Amino acid sequence: MNKDFTCLFAGEAGYGVMSAGSTLAKAAGRNGLWAFVVNEYPSLIKGGLNTCLVRLAASPLQAHEESLDFFAGLSQEGLEQNYSRLKPGAALLVDTAIKVESSRLPSDVRVYLLPLIQKGSGDVAKIMSNSAMLGAFCAISGFPLELVETVLAGEFKPEVFAKNRELLRAAFELAAEQAVVASFPLPVGANPAQKMLINGNDAISMGAIQAGCKFAAGYPMTPGSSVLTYLADHGPQFGLVFKQAEDEIAAMNMLIGAGYAGVRAIGSTSGGGFALMVEALGFAGLAEVPVVMVNAQRGGPSTGQPTRTAQADLAFVINSSQGEFPRIVLAVGDVEECFVETFRAFNLAEKYQIPVIILTDKYLADSSVTHPFFNTNGLTIERGKLADETWLAANRPYKRYEFTDDGVSVRAVPGMAGGRHIATSYTHGEDGFYSSGNREYAATEPEITVKALDKLFAKEPHILAELPAVKLHGPETADLTLVAWGSTKGAALEAMELAKAAGLSVNLLQVLYMSPFPAAAVEAVLGKAKHTLLLEGNKTAQLGALIRMHTGIYIDDNYLKYDSRAFTPSLILEKIKEVLA
Amino acid sequence: MSASDVNLQYVPTWCPGCGNFGIFNSLKKAFATLQLDLEQTVLVNGIGCSSKIGQYVNCYRIETLHGRSLPVATGVKLANHSLTVIAEGGDGDGMGLGMGHFVHTARRNLDISYFIHNNQVYGLTKGQTSPTSEPGMLTKFTPPPLGNVERPVNIVDMAISLGASFVARSYTGDMNHLADMMAQAISHRGFAVLDILQPCVSFNAINTYAWYQQRVRRIAETHDPENRDQARALAGLWGDEIPVGVFLREERPTFADSLAQLKDGPLASRPLEGADISGLMEELA
Ligand SMILES: Cc1ncc(C[n+]2csc(CCOP(=O)(O)OP(=O)(O)O)c2C)c(N)n1
Ligand code: SF4
Repeated sequence: MNKDFTCLFAGEAGYGVMSAGSTLAKAAGRNGLWAFVVNEYPSLIKGGLNTCLVRLAASPLQAHEESLDFFAGLSQEGLEQNYSRLKPGAALLVDTAIKVESSRLPSDVRVYLLPLIQKGSGDVAKIMSNSAMLGAFCAISGFPLELVETVLAGEFKPEVFAKNRELLRAAFELAAEQAVVASFPLPVGANPAQKMLINGNDAISMGAIQAGCKFAAGYPMTPGSSVLTYLADHGPQFGLVFKQAEDEIAAMNMLIGAGYAGVRAIGSTSGGGFALMVEALGFAGLAEVPVVMVNAQRGGPSTGQPTRTAQADLAFVINSSQGEFPRIVLAVGDVEECFVETFRAFNLAEKYQIPVIILTDKYLADSSVTHPFFNTNGLTIERGKLADETWLAANRPYKRYEFTDDGVSVRAVPGMAGGRHIATSYTHGEDGFYSSGNREYAATEPEITVKALDKLFAKEPHILAELPAVKLHGPETADLTLVAWGSTKGAALEAMELAKAAGLSVNLLQVLYMSPFPAAAVEAVLGKAKHTLLLEGNKTAQLGALIRMHTGIYIDDNYLKYDSRAFTPSLILEKIKEVLA
Repeated sequence: MSASDVNLQYVPTWCPGCGNFGIFNSLKKAFATLQLDLEQTVLVNGIGCSSKIGQYVNCYRIETLHGRSLPVATGVKLANHSLTVIAEGGDGDGMGLGMGHFVHTARRNLDISYFIHNNQVYGLTKGQTSPTSEPGMLTKFTPPPLGNVERPVNIVDMAISLGASFVARSYTGDMNHLADMMAQAISHRGFAVLDILQPCVSFNAINTYAWYQQRVRRIAETHDPENRDQARALAGLWGDEIPVGVFLREERPTFADSLAQLKDGPLASRPLEGADISGLMEELA
């Protein structure tokens, strides 16, 4: 494992600590390093405590770590909450207004008290405090100042940049007087391969655009909203229309309308919004309308914890809505999967005429990572059994819901000659007609009901055969098999590497597609496992329960983390050692 | 095309004498009058006796959830704005669960027609109060002695104040008038609301054919539908005289007109392939 370097920028909302962090991460990323950036913020606009953690290393990172090599703080509260995370020998940079209790510092911590917050000139000065913080950071850590300048130059208008550079340099000089200027502990140098600093929600949005998505609708709910913001902002140049709906119920129904009319459509929300959508989710399921939904999980039932992370919606999402109908639920684990699997989600939605739900969470949605440019070669759009007018002319009468072996029937969309039909939320027969009440159908109702449900579920084996439902990371066999899903993937993978370095034999089963549940694939891996450890960001071991239900396999040990923060590699390593001891 | 071309082979399941038959016949007539291309027409309905109309009409139809016809119609229209989109549903459907959608769809002025089968009661769930029920009306959910104590929603008045650009009312007992109002609503470019007075012979003992016959009056020719204030004043009338006809007609840009993305034709006919996201990636480099 590479040596890594973690810096935490902390300050009240409004002081730009997040942009300080992303500026450093971008500068590092453009110059051969790799970053993982985690933003933590309470649900308020001004005040409170925002932190931005930037972890840097010489090779790709997939998670953050708790302990800090550098703390740069603009608020007393920020320091109070983070004393315990400082590593021995760390550097501590704080504004002069902040009181540092030396007794709470670990050994050899160097403290730099500098006037970082510009006094007296209102919000503008406040926002620029982050430039001062970055300038001093460079002097103290030895991170090249001109790299930071280049990033800022690209982000601001010339006048604004000039002001920030002035401040950046002034703080650098001031800090250089106090600091024994260190050389930055990682090899900073130019790297020709283009990389992005990207978060999960941006990657999902790009996947949607690449897939030809032309319609998005939603109602803002953190942390799902940023997909909508991205598409509202960047979508129009790709011919995409975003509609802010009056509520989530409207949003989901608009998506269904668009999907029925033949347009690829996406929505994004968090648990509470998703809860409002579930009646319509069942409608999409029964009417076989393709639609893609993102549920970015946050903490808690109800309003819960808007800006904190959790993996606790799994059981709800796979079971949401009344009655029985298949849906595809996909739990992306990293930025690459956010992009590629979102692209695939649109193909799956149309090929199987089924709602697809992308399950992500605040940690993945909101954390940025240095990532190579996405490779779009080989991403092919597949629309499945979509009719055209020639087919419709040759196949009369058209039956929208014709019973077929794979449960999928040819889909016509409004405007196509010869494809007129009814798509309906009522249980229906092959022509889409209501199975009950009407004389024409009354006698055959029980039969139609069974056939209609069998038709929907006939899709499942075909979906399962096509999906990359699970991924086994690491060696084929190991003394301990970790089982994880979603954003826990990153920390689990790194923990696996750490364990290997410590001479332990560990592999990781990642369940990527949760519904239909890939029982055979999971069983194949777990059947060979010697000892198993489940890692989940919830209290009730929801994936564990699914595995038990579908395979009868009990996971040996659980590590459940439901404190509203994500797993870290070192925490998982500790648990691995405990289990294998 | 004649009215009978709009028919499917299924026999409607409304109670004998139900006002929905009149609405069904008028709809077929309006379609024939306009010579609508049925392949290019989408009927979006909710759930209720009223909403069953979509089961019998031979165009593209999507039978949605209770109260949700308008957001689905919105999605259809934005996906393919060259289609003729008509939403239909009941007063419970549209003014109960669907009220929020009604408010916001009217504000948006999408080119959709919305026909509300207003029988002032819930039919399909067997006779509960609706948001348009008369005060004092006795229903399963508002039994004697009090009956309904809430004020009814005035659909026409509300549609005018919310910004619908065409607002009319008609009566199922006057099928020619109704067919004419429907045709005008469909032809109108913008959100067109049509409040259709529809007797429910099974559950509404107040607003019967006889009751309406005495009260329904066609709006005088002197009314200027481009005059909002006049339209409002007229909309306030309900009682011994119930005005039917066009209250308001306003030409103004539709929501879709404001979207540059729709200038090159409907979203549904755009190719999916070929998005070049390299610029998006460079933005994050
Ligand atoms: C979410 C939901 N709630 C309740 C119902 C039950 N429901 C079906 S139709 C209906 C009322 C219909 O009344 P209205 O819209 O006035 O139409 P009518 O039957 O009178 O034509 C209700 C409450 C439902 N289908 N879905
Ligand atoms: S219950 Fe009323 S609205 Fe429903 S079909 Fe019968 S008469 Fe018509």
